[in-house]
Amino acid sequence: MVAIDGLAKSFRDRKRGEVRAVDGVSFECRPGEIFGLLGPNGAGKTTLTRMLATILQPTAGSAQVAGYDIRREPEEVRRHLGYLTGSAALYERLTAREVVTYFAELHGLSPKRAANRIEAVFRTLDIEPFADRRCDRLSTGQRQRVSIARAIVHEPPVLLFDEPTSGLDVLSARGVVRFIRQCRDEGRTVIFSTHIMSEVEALCDRIAVIYQGKIAAIGTVDELREQTGERAFENVFLRLIGEEL
Amino acid sequence: MGKSLVRVVLRKELRETFRDRRTVFSVIISPLLFTPLLLSMIGMLVTRQARAEQHEVLSVGLVGGEQAPSLQRILSNSRGLRFEAVSAADAQTRVRTHDLRAALQVPRNADALLADHRRVPLKVLVDPGNEASQRTAQRIHAFFEERSKRLVAQRLSKKGLSPELVRPFDVRDTRISGGGSVAGLMLAMFLPYVLVLSSILGGVYAANDLVAGEKERGTLEALLVSPASRRDLVMGKFLTVAIVSLVSSLLSVVGLVLPFWLQPPGMSWLARTELTLTPLALAAMLLVQFPIAILGAGLLLSVSTYARNQKEAQSYLSPVMLIVTVVAMLSLILKAEAPWPLALAPILNAALALKQALNGSLDPTFALLAVAASAAYASLAMAFATRLFQQESVLLKA
Ligand SMILES: Nc1ncnc2c1ncn2[C@@H]1O[C@H](COP(=O)(O)OP(=O)(O)OP(=O)(O)O)[C@@H](O)[C@H]1O
Ligand SMILES: [Mg+2]
Repeated sequence: MVAIDGLAKSFRDRKRGEVRAVDGVSFECRPGEIFGLLGPNGAGKTTLTRMLATILQPTAGSAQVAGYDIRREPEEVRRHLGYLTGSAALYERLTAREVVTYFAELHGLSPKRAANRIEAVFRTLDIEPFADRRCDRLSTGQRQRVSIARAIVHEPPVLLFDEPTSGLDVLSARGVVRFIRQCRDEGRTVIFSTHIMSEVEALCDRIAVIYQGKIAAIGTVDELREQTGERAFENVFLRLIGEEL
Repeated sequence: MGKSLVRVVLRKELRETFRDRRTVFSVIISPLLFTPLLLSMIGMLVTRQARAEQHEVLSVGLVGGEQAPSLQRILSNSRGLRFEAVSAADAQTRVRTHDLRAALQVPRNADALLADHRRVPLKVLVDPGNEASQRTAQRIHAFFEERSKRLVAQRLSKKGLSPELVRPFDVRDTRISGGGSVAGLMLAMFLPYVLVLSSILGGVYAANDLVAGEKERGTLEALLVSPASRRDLVMGKFLTVAIVSLVSSLLSVVGLVLPFWLQPPGMSWLARTELTLTPLALAAMLLVQFPIAILGAGLLLSVSTYARNQKEAQSYLSPVMLIVTVVAMLSLILKAEAPWPLALAPILNAALALKQALNGSLDPTFALLAVAASAAYASLAMAFATRLFQQESVLLKA
């Protein structure tokens, strides 16, 4: 469960002055739901997910993640959170198993529970064949699978994905999408940011279209189609952010 | 919980750091292999050169020697000098062109003066810009010094007088037993230098890799989203750098002392002076390493945290490195018995305290002050690094 209320973040930029990266965003996301954040470059998706992940301090508003306040209980929030970005990398001099073990330990998993979880996760993601290879010898697709394993080894109830398929080929991207769907089916709360229309259509139960730090529209794919009177989702999106077709 | 996470971070960082070839090379291989190798090579060259110089025959021009056969007879007995008759004009140019090492100018009436027991003025032509020429001049001086004594003794005994008449004092050195050795003196000079440099330089790769490197490669964000607090993370990383620095300085010392104990071939020049490290010196060495390593770790980690990537960290570090090198050099120059305000100078104070300990002249007040000041600086550096690590603008700088 994620509940966001009027969340805002401004940066002071030397050239542009005050930048309102996120400007009063509110929505709720329930367990067993994939909530899409759709927005063009610079819309504020990363800033929003980073605030939810407690690595950026909001300038206004509040949010609860898995029942914990992101300002007052950041460490509890992080304990119940799985976080994965498309730009995430792995420790190159460690093996896949060492990386995932490290994060299991950081999450306070007992050695026995960590071993069980790693075995289970490696099996579902098919990591076992290269589990003891150093990460700098893995392919991009293999790395992404290890990154996913790292993000979910502690079985978080809430998952934040920030453009997790960027830089992946169609096959690997489909694997990630399938995995996100599986997380939903297990009853987790999933927030998924992207600018790829097809992923949104295929995956998201509800969508918030973000533009210039604000929510331009919120609803299911069909609701947004109805609202704009467009069929093709790209057109729906362009209409919602006020662009001419 | 919090404490164990520092351990988790530390364990992982150490494992990763010691898999980094750059760190392994600069911290382990270089001090243990290359320092002793370099030392033996220097030793070998020094001894070989000294021996070569002893056996070398230096050619010297002789101007005006034809008229002085008895002086020539004296010169023919010189060891390591070969005299060759030249004209006054030739002497100048041939010394200048290094064809001759030096030239000796003898007056026409040299033999007459000798026979009259009067002083013979001799002129040595030397090129001050040529080391070999100066060495030759020295040898000529030494030769005549020795000849003069002999001649005086002969003349005195002819008159029935004792040579002691003109040498009222006979001064000689005797080495005390249990005192310091030449090797000890050398160590007292070089150890603080090596220790300071290695304990700070040794941690550079590790520190740069641990934060700036994580930012650059994109692994830091996931780490920040883990339940570990910023304090846990920074402590784990900080301890990693401090440990790498300690290992580095420890192994540098081992590398420096090893040749003295192993006595490998070519190090016979060291064999003549036995090396004794007193327990006090050893303890001081260990004690001094800690504050330097901790201060260094705090500094390096702060720079690494502030920088966007490793390259930037490296360039921020160059002034720091310069200062550290200058401080290390100062420790070579400054006397061990330093005035107490120097006990407050970061890093230098530790180097000087160590120098005192190795000299056997440890001043307890100075040492205590140095340790206290160092501890204060180290905790300041640590606090600064932690502060920096808590700023989102610094950590997520794109
Ligand atoms: N640390 C920062 N300092 C100043 N401005 C920032 C900072 N981080 C982000 N911004 C600005 O905030 C705005 C939102 O950026 P953000 O990265 O959240 O967008 P995004 O939707 O994730 O874009 P993209 O699709 O390119 O990833 C942009 O205008 C960006 O330049
Ligand atoms: Mg982004």
